[in-house]
Amino acid sequence: MKRTLSYVGERALLVLISIVVLFPIAWMFLTAFKQPRDAYSLSLNFEPTLQNFVTVFSAPWNLGSMVMNSVVVATVTVAIAVPCAALAAYSFSRFRVKGRKFLFFLILSTQFIPAVVIVLPFFLMFRQLDMLDTRLALIIVNLAIVTPFVIWMIKGFIDAIPTDSEEAAMIDGASRLRVIKDIVLPMAAPGIMTSSIFCFILTWNEFLFALILSRRDAVTLPVGLVSFRTERGDLWELMSAAGVMITVPIFIMALFIQKHFTRGMTAGAVK
Amino acid sequence: MAEVRLVDIEKKYGAFLAVPQQSLTIHDGEFLVLLGPSGCGKTTTMRMIAGLEDITSGDIMIKGERVNDKPPKDRDIAMVFQNYGLYPHMTVRQNIEYPLKLRGVDKATRKARVQETAAKVELDALLDRRPSELSGGQRQRVALARAIVRTPSIFLMDEPLSNLDAKLRVTMRAELKHLHHELGVTTVYVTHDQMEAMTLANRVAVMREGRIVQLDTPKKIYAEPADLFVAGFIGSPSMNLIDGVVKGGVFRADGVEIPVPLGDRDGVVLGIRPEEIDITQDAGAPISGKLYALELTGESTLVTLRNGPSSVCARGHADFEAEIDSPCYLAPKDEARIHLFDRASGERLG
Ligand SMILES: Nc1ncnc2c1ncn2[C@@H]1O[C@H](COP(=O)(O)OP(=O)(O)OP(=O)(O)O)[C@@H](O)[C@H]1O
Ligand SMILES: [Mg+2]
Repeated sequence: MKRTLSYVGERALLVLISIVVLFPIAWMFLTAFKQPRDAYSLSLNFEPTLQNFVTVFSAPWNLGSMVMNSVVVATVTVAIAVPCAALAAYSFSRFRVKGRKFLFFLILSTQFIPAVVIVLPFFLMFRQLDMLDTRLALIIVNLAIVTPFVIWMIKGFIDAIPTDSEEAAMIDGASRLRVIKDIVLPMAAPGIMTSSIFCFILTWNEFLFALILSRRDAVTLPVGLVSFRTERGDLWELMSAAGVMITVPIFIMALFIQKHFTRGMTAGAVK
Repeated sequence: MAEVRLVDIEKKYGAFLAVPQQSLTIHDGEFLVLLGPSGCGKTTTMRMIAGLEDITSGDIMIKGERVNDKPPKDRDIAMVFQNYGLYPHMTVRQNIEYPLKLRGVDKATRKARVQETAAKVELDALLDRRPSELSGGQRQRVALARAIVRTPSIFLMDEPLSNLDAKLRVTMRAELKHLHHELGVTTVYVTHDQMEAMTLANRVAVMREGRIVQLDTPKKIYAEPADLFVAGFIGSPSMNLIDGVVKGGVFRADGVEIPVPLGDRDGVVLGIRPEEIDITQDAGAPISGKLYALELTGESTLVTLRNGPSSVCARGHADFEAEIDSPCYLAPKDEARIHLFDRASGERLG
């Protein structure tokens, strides 16, 4: 009896949390398909339209270039951060160097600094370099933000891999780099995949730096959303349509992560 | 072909001394077995030879060259790991093939070598499985196959047959013996199995707490154990070790009176193997007591007799039968096969 009660309570709580979390997202999806006159209506009975998506991609909003900016910034950031982080994570995990723990702490500690504190220095620096409003500046900043996090994350995955297979490979005649390529990377692949997606999501959603460092050419999607707040009021249906454009890729990636998380690659290596 | 010399090597893990300073020469083409209780440093010694473990002090020489700073891949060693260390993301075929691939062996030769080796360890039907889809014994055979697929200068095998059933173990043992005869590769081999040690080894090194306590041919180790520890460790069932005293040229303990060539002294341990004892009907026999247990092993019966604290086991004929608790008499077959040790130091006496 007691068990069923706690079971019911648990479920009820889960449902409640899900509603709280999912409601705004569901509302955004609905609004994206509404006509301007329905945007403020609470009724679910409206005539759906795709016009909002057409509007946001045409002048003056030109969401297309923002999508492009976001895709380029996030992809390049992942493409640079993940390989570097994987090598760093491997070193932190396997090499017993003096001061290793402190160095690792130092890298992690960059994550404790609130972004607002460093955004101004970054702004001044990029202005000096004449790099304001460029994708490259955003990529550099995102790398700085994301790499420590990804190192930490991948290290967790590599720590979980037993060293036995690596040692066997070294005896079999593989160099350290070969071991990483042939043994460690395939075994850590699910973890690295997961980390890449996290890294992508972080960059994709990054708002503050993009807001400060871009003006016209390098504006990314999250910043672009702000432009739907006009003197004529907030254009909720357009903002929602753009919101859907931001959210859908993340949803798809989250699904991927789930699939990878459930699959271990280390089974069968040792006794 | 390679001679391996360990010169004053020592291994510490932090403050813990795993292998205290010692030297050992493994001759070119020799089959050396490391024998010793769990945790005595066998694996550590192997790993130092392989270059997987830094040595705290001393030198490791392979073919006369100091290899302390040489990475494992350049030492031309093949190793069977105690816990296999297979590549879980590769099939059995790819696992066995990997060392050849790294050495740039061409595809056709690789394929043939893998087939041949897999057949030797009876894995040919499982080549396309992954390690996670194999039993423990099958995984161990993959580890073995991966080591013997090529001909290195040195084989290091850490309990390579421990997980196999009795029949397969005998087959693989013969396979390894043949391989060693054929290739003559210097081999260091760890086992807990007396039979393996006896049948395979040119020399056996018995280890205790990181130290080599005796290094000799299997025959010599069996017949002339250097101390109490080796005496108790080698042989199955192990040697009878009876606590007693020597008085007037006779070793005395409860129910035991055996003449020995030793002056009067206390704290003596008399050792005698079960194989070296006869079961007699003679009430005046040197060892007497009550029958405590009878164990049929197949080809023989183990007869255990008790008298006070003394307990003596003898290997008798498979047909031997008697009532438990009935009086029982034993006699050493050959006075020369009796071993005497000092209880306190464990050293061999006389
Ligand atoms: N990485 C390590 N750190 C600290 N101590 C270690 C480490 N590896 C081994 N040891 C210790 O060193 C000693 C020797 O270990 P080793 O693995 O060589 O034993 P072994 O003879 O192979 O035993 P077994 O027969 O159980 O395999 C043990 O006491 C063990 O606890
Ligand atoms: Mg071991």
